[in-house]
Amino acid sequence: MRTTKTLAALAAATLCAALGTATAQQPIVLQWQTANLTEKQYEPIWKATIAEFEAANPGIKIEPVLVARKDHWTKFVAAALAKQAPCIVSVDVATAAYNGYLMPMDKFIQAESAEFRGAWSPDILSAAKWKGKLYGLPIWGGTYAEIYNRELVTKAGLDPANPPKTWAEYLAWSKKLTGNGVWATAVLGGKTDTTTRVLLTWIWSNGGEAFNADMTEATFAKNPKSLEAIKFYLGLAGKQGLAAPAPTTTNYLEQTNLFSQGKIANMRNAYWAVAKVHDDNPAMKGNMFVAPIPANVANAPTMSTMTASSISASCPHPEAAWKFIKFDADKKWSIERARVANWMPLRNDLANDPQIKADPLLAQFIQIGTRARSYPLPSPIWAEIAAGDIVDAVQRALLQPEKTDEIFRDLDARLTKKLRDV
Amino acid sequence: MRQWQRRRLVGYAFVGPVFLFLCAVVVFPLSHAFWISLHRTRGLATSFSGTANYQRALTDDAFWHSLGVSIQFTVACVTLHMLIGLCLALLLNEIRFAKTALRVAFLTPWMVAPAVGATIWLWLLEPQFGVVNFLLGAIGVIDAPLAWLGTPNLALISVIAVDVWRGVPFVMLLILAGLQTIPRDQYEAASMDGAGSWQRFRYITLPNLRYLLVVASTLDIINTIRHYDIIGVMTAGGPAGATEVLPVLLYNTAFRGNRFGEAAAIGVLLLLIVLAFAIFHIRLTKPEQGSAQ
Repeated sequence: MRTTKTLAALAAATLCAALGTATAQQPIVLQWQTANLTEKQYEPIWKATIAEFEAANPGIKIEPVLVARKDHWTKFVAAALAKQAPCIVSVDVATAAYNGYLMPMDKFIQAESAEFRGAWSPDILSAAKWKGKLYGLPIWGGTYAEIYNRELVTKAGLDPANPPKTWAEYLAWSKKLTGNGVWATAVLGGKTDTTTRVLLTWIWSNGGEAFNADMTEATFAKNPKSLEAIKFYLGLAGKQGLAAPAPTTTNYLEQTNLFSQGKIANMRNAYWAVAKVHDDNPAMKGNMFVAPIPANVANAPTMSTMTASSISASCPHPEAAWKFIKFDADKKWSIERARVANWMPLRNDLANDPQIKADPLLAQFIQIGTRARSYPLPSPIWAEIAAGDIVDAVQRALLQPEKTDEIFRDLDARLTKKLRDV
Repeated sequence: MRQWQRRRLVGYAFVGPVFLFLCAVVVFPLSHAFWISLHRTRGLATSFSGTANYQRALTDDAFWHSLGVSIQFTVACVTLHMLIGLCLALLLNEIRFAKTALRVAFLTPWMVAPAVGATIWLWLLEPQFGVVNFLLGAIGVIDAPLAWLGTPNLALISVIAVDVWRGVPFVMLLILAGLQTIPRDQYEAASMDGAGSWQRFRYITLPNLRYLLVVASTLDIINTIRHYDIIGVMTAGGPAGATEVLPVLLYNTAFRGNRFGEAAAIGVLLLLIVLAFAIFHIRLTKPEQGSAQ
């Protein structure tokens, strides 16, 4: 009896010790979600990043959350509401911070060395702030420019060394590039925020503004230069027939497919599109050239997107999450992302890096990006209006061009009401 | 305890787990949704707002527009489901060879997950590279590629067509089961009296199927009016809101707009519409149920 009791006690103690040890040895598991993990050109980089990080930090495991781009925000919001969002995410900072989904990161970055903090300009960092607090570390971005198919341009009798600088020149080029089953360009009118991005570049290139300075009023129709730009751009798909058909279903994916297949001669896109086109059609390597966006005003800015890595508000291990974010933001991975996936680095200490300078296209994009405005725009409802209200207006105007004025006046009224309701 | 009390307790004991399950998956979510609909939500921040979300929804043009699209979509889909389903069921009931193979073939669209089917059709209908435009162009039906999902009318017709492709098998199956319960001697007697095929269909088949058709159409309406998958994947409610049915509006309001209170209010209103219709339809056809039986 006594022996049995002793044995039972020993067994229980051993089990408790084993459990305790197992618990103590359990690594911290951090989920990482960004829409880009499902993009083919990024895959080798993020896998290598995780492998090296885990090797250097045996107590931390990174679990990638793979989700299609159009479901990324939905999945994140659903998880955030359940207070189970992935620890490390890349989302629209202003919208996510406003809704309470993100954790401020000021204490983490302030604890780093001056050299680390100095790798990002105050302008870049401010794009990842909401109400004065930092909610993301800018990791990579993309500058929008005109990307041309050299072969199609040459075939049309145009000079690749002399791309259009004004709208009039762009229109003249577009007319020559359209014909025989090929169109000059594609107008984006699909239901994603890329539609809004490209629309904004046209508005800015005409000296227009879509919103007032403090983002409390929309001025798509109120600002005559904005309306002029909208009509010019959407008109390319209208009666002029210079843009590929079905613009209301054309998103980034369709646009790059058309360009890869030689169905459009030019696309307004960011540097990452180059890698995608190379992947879709290797014959396009060396067949592209880049030029600044044609503009009607001097020093018109283009657009530079900013993607930041953030820590979700419900993350139980924010210090470990910061460790990974800092690792991912390192020069090495910034260069790899630029070299392989064509994602532009946002660190200001890489412009003279030999690997960056060795890529002429990247160097051109960096040069073009020196005069760029940041995207997304700083509004807590940006995610909703950019992929919703603005896209709806663009689609309506594409389907009923004679009502463009009225459509964008309605848009101004609707957006102004929403912006003031925040 | 008396025997009848014991038997009753046993009955409750058997029903209990199912009742608890229903509470967990139906009653609690519905109550929670109703509770959220009474709040103003912005992400994680909420504040009680009473019926403000309902007032906002009912005074919003977008809600009434979506309701209109939902009605158009539902009426078209259910009508086509019933007509095509009935024709296919009649056909399958009459043929003698390859019956099983044909049934499986006709059921295949229903076996495919809605989102998967919608994604396949999205690529089939792609304007530049899709197979549908290629085939129609090859046989000379169209001169230039059509933007199936790019114009309002075509987009609505396309999503209706895809929903019909997916929904017909279910209706066909129900009606086929009903056809096989109709006594053959009724048809034989009618034939002996000189009734033609149309008369046999009108005076024997339809009356025998009437209650089943009511059930099938009611279930189909309830299923179709709350449909999200196909439209969500293919058009996300576009272009320009042409296919934005109420479930899509609800989804966009919740996940794009982060306005979960308003979205919940739209959901409750949709539930009331479906409930009202179901009650009305069943009451309308109740006397016929008795005579059909």
